[in-house]
Amino acid sequence: MSSSEAQHAHNPYLAHHFDTMGQQEYAARLGMWLFIATEVLLFAGLFLGYTVYRWMYPQTYQACADLLSVPMGATNTVVLITSSFTAAWAYHAIKYNQIKRGLALLAVTIAFACVFLVVKYFEYAHKFSVGQLPGKWYSFEGLQAPGANLFFAVYFLATGLHGLHVLIGMTVLGFIFYRTVKGRYHASNYVGVELGVLYWHLVDLVWIFLFPLLYLI
Amino acid sequence: MGRYVAVFAILMVLTGVTVWTARIDFGAWNIVIAMIIATVKAALVVLFFMHLWDEGPVNRLVFVVSVLFAGVLILFTFGDLMFRIPGLLPNAIHENDIPKVIESAGHH
Repeated sequence: MSSSEAQHAHNPYLAHHFDTMGQQEYAARLGMWLFIATEVLLFAGLFLGYTVYRWMYPQTYQACADLLSVPMGATNTVVLITSSFTAAWAYHAIKYNQIKRGLALLAVTIAFACVFLVVKYFEYAHKFSVGQLPGKWYSFEGLQAPGANLFFAVYFLATGLHGLHVLIGMTVLGFIFYRTVKGRYHASNYVGVELGVLYWHLVDLVWIFLFPLLYLI
Repeated sequence: MGRYVAVFAILMVLTGVTVWTARIDFGAWNIVIAMIIATVKAALVVLFFMHLWDEGPVNRLVFVVSVLFAGVLILFTFGDLMFRIPGLLPNAIHENDIPKVIESAGHH
């Protein structure tokens, strides 16, 4: 047995169809980036819907954007960017075997995700109560203009799909937390953490565009 | 680790900048400014938080191609929208906006 083969035998996380851990991690990352590509295109459809209707109803869109709460949107932007930072830090910690710190940072990231959803809940509750809703359910007296119900259709679809991603991301991070507690993730096996954290950054990435498009302009 | 902190700080500053510039009236430039800032923020997240800066060429290609096709989707749709007869847009609510040619075509 050559020395390199002996090394393989020592890492129980190397699947038999890969030659090295490096190759295995590269393949895992490629799979994740392919998935991220499909996610980019999924959200691109919604962004296209947004731009087309904005082009048709520019004044209505501006009036609708003014109805959204910039402090709430900005708060959620800060919350998500901070959570992205703590997620990146958690990955870094686990990669360098600082398991306790990694677990704490994962918990903080999930807590930030909860804060995001709570703020989102208050925004949704307000819109439901005043009738700023999509399509035929739009009944807001303060702004009666063609296209307003389309703005809120895009608003609820985009933030709803994004919110679903927040929920999935929280589940993924929770799963990583559980597996790290069980001793599965550490310096010699961390690619699972890396991929989960990549998903969380994707959630942040989408919000970086949603925030100015819906709330600011 | 220092790189993460620097990127985080820049993202926070840019969030402040985009909220601030949106309050000033630049007319049509508001949307351009907001999108430039958002693109810079997104690039920072993708390159440094998501490590595409250190990633191999294949993974970079996968991501760049997805962004490229998202661009194709949006740009080509606008190529259609911008050069249509106004009355044929889905938001044409007045019957008079519909050109006569189309009306007669619908009679047989």
